[in-house]
Amino acid sequence: MKVTLSLIKKQTMPELILEVQDLSKKFCRRLKRSLYYGITDVARQTLGLSPQLELRPEEFWAVNNVSFEVIAGDIIAVIGANGSGKTTLMRMIAGIYQSNSGKIRYRQGLKVTPIFALNVGLRNEFTGLENIKLKASIFGMTEQELKEKLDFIIDFSELEYALKTPVGNYSSGMRARLSYSVAIATEPDLFIIDEALAVGDSLFKAKCYEHLGEYVKERERAVLYVTNRIRKVMALANRVIVMRKGEIIRDSPDAGEALEFYINDIVGDNMTDNLKEMKLEKIRHFEM
Amino acid sequence: MWQFLSKIKSWWYLVKQLTQVEIVGLYKKSFLGMAWMFILPILAVVIWVVLNGAGVVNPGETDIPYPAYVLLSTSIWGFFLEAYKSTSNLLTKNGRMLIMSEVPFEPLLMQKVVVHLINFIIPFVVNIIVLLAFGVRFSTVALLFPFSLFPLLLLGMATGMVVAIFRIIMVDIANLVDEGMKLLMFLTPIVYTPKITTSWLQTIVEYNPLTYLIGFSRDLLTSGTFYMPVQYAVFTFVSLLLFIVAFRFLMKSSPIVLERLINN
Repeated sequence: MKVTLSLIKKQTMPELILEVQDLSKKFCRRLKRSLYYGITDVARQTLGLSPQLELRPEEFWAVNNVSFEVIAGDIIAVIGANGSGKTTLMRMIAGIYQSNSGKIRYRQGLKVTPIFALNVGLRNEFTGLENIKLKASIFGMTEQELKEKLDFIIDFSELEYALKTPVGNYSSGMRARLSYSVAIATEPDLFIIDEALAVGDSLFKAKCYEHLGEYVKERERAVLYVTNRIRKVMALANRVIVMRKGEIIRDSPDAGEALEFYINDIVGDNMTDNLKEMKLEKIRHFEM
Repeated sequence: MWQFLSKIKSWWYLVKQLTQVEIVGLYKKSFLGMAWMFILPILAVVIWVVLNGAGVVNPGETDIPYPAYVLLSTSIWGFFLEAYKSTSNLLTKNGRMLIMSEVPFEPLLMQKVVVHLINFIIPFVVNIIVLLAFGVRFSTVALLFPFSLFPLLLLGMATGMVVAIFRIIMVDIANLVDEGMKLLMFLTPIVYTPKITTSWLQTIVEYNPLTYLIGFSRDLLTSGTFYMPVQYAVFTFVSLLLFIVAFRFLMKSSPIVLERLINN
């Protein structure tokens, strides 16, 4: 099946932000074979031949036949063990990776901001303010948009005192604050966060959770975030998608139920009974 | 092409920011700062003056003083080579940004062109002053010189765009072309004149498109004449054609190869 990206007409389905249908993506386990497949794929494309959709030796489905919808107001935590396909799925939704088959339909005019690594584009020898400008341009902001949002970014990041300091002298938490504040200033309709809130101080993280919760209520927006941390799922998500071996095996509006399923059925075998019980207790008696 | 221009327009602030960061960043830790942009071309002239004075090189007959000839020729060659180098490293150097954010390759390509032109213009102004000091006088036709470089930019970028893809999936090809560029410099009349007598080299020089693309620009500036205009026109057309094909190749192939950038 050929990959198509199409648009959802806003007039007919206003609440639907994104629709993913039968999306698949394959990768190769071996480096040299992957490069060889790269050569053959480029050659096939150059010659106008259709891409090979079936698995070749050493290939596997990183994302396999995934379908789901994102509705305005959704704050979806995507959880799963390492290699379950979470990041690959996010990168396809963000338009960074091409899928091998399936469709992604976006609401008309949908603005997506993905954060996969907060440090991307930051230059150590440049000051905080210079890096705000650089980061804003990487997120696709115009000079005028940045001018309008600069005060918000400085306020939200709480970095006014360090704007003239080279970013090389920033702590990882300060870098995260800078990058995250610029990202949120782009005001996306769909915000994709892949482990980006794993760093930073707990007070700032709490502020981000609160802000995201308010953010999706303001307009018809949604958040998709990748994490495996119980606290981040319980504190923020109103829906949880559990992935295993490239497939969605649970899509639940009950964060606690989805997390318990994840711990009991997916990662529990690799834990001691004590650790497993401790995590389940944390979920059952979670308090903000 | 419209799609390319529209992407450049919407990502123009990124082009501007990355250009500023690259130019300023290069000299940020240096005490002499951007003065290096002037020092380096002056050093290049000094080296060729010394070599010529010591009789180490035997370039053949040149219409203008030899150091001025070499300075101008290497400068034009450098314009072609840098166009190739910056484009051929486009995906690998910006790989992290390309696979971690929504930034497409088009504004990055544009930024490379802008940085390339800035890096060429400043030393070139120094070169012009040096040429005047060597007694070279320019006619009004010399004003066409910047436009005459356009095919070199297209050819350098076309080669670079193809190699950019191979630098990810078949690094052997990229390495071979990189090394080939060093050889190509000696197979092009840059440090010697096209009037050489060695027969095998003469044949290569005759079939080398750079002989005409570089020679045309050089003669336009120094003597106000058109060096082999028919060959220049043919290779200009070929360069344009190659650029279009290579751009399409890069556009279509980059999604396939970028996901294989595992070192980012």
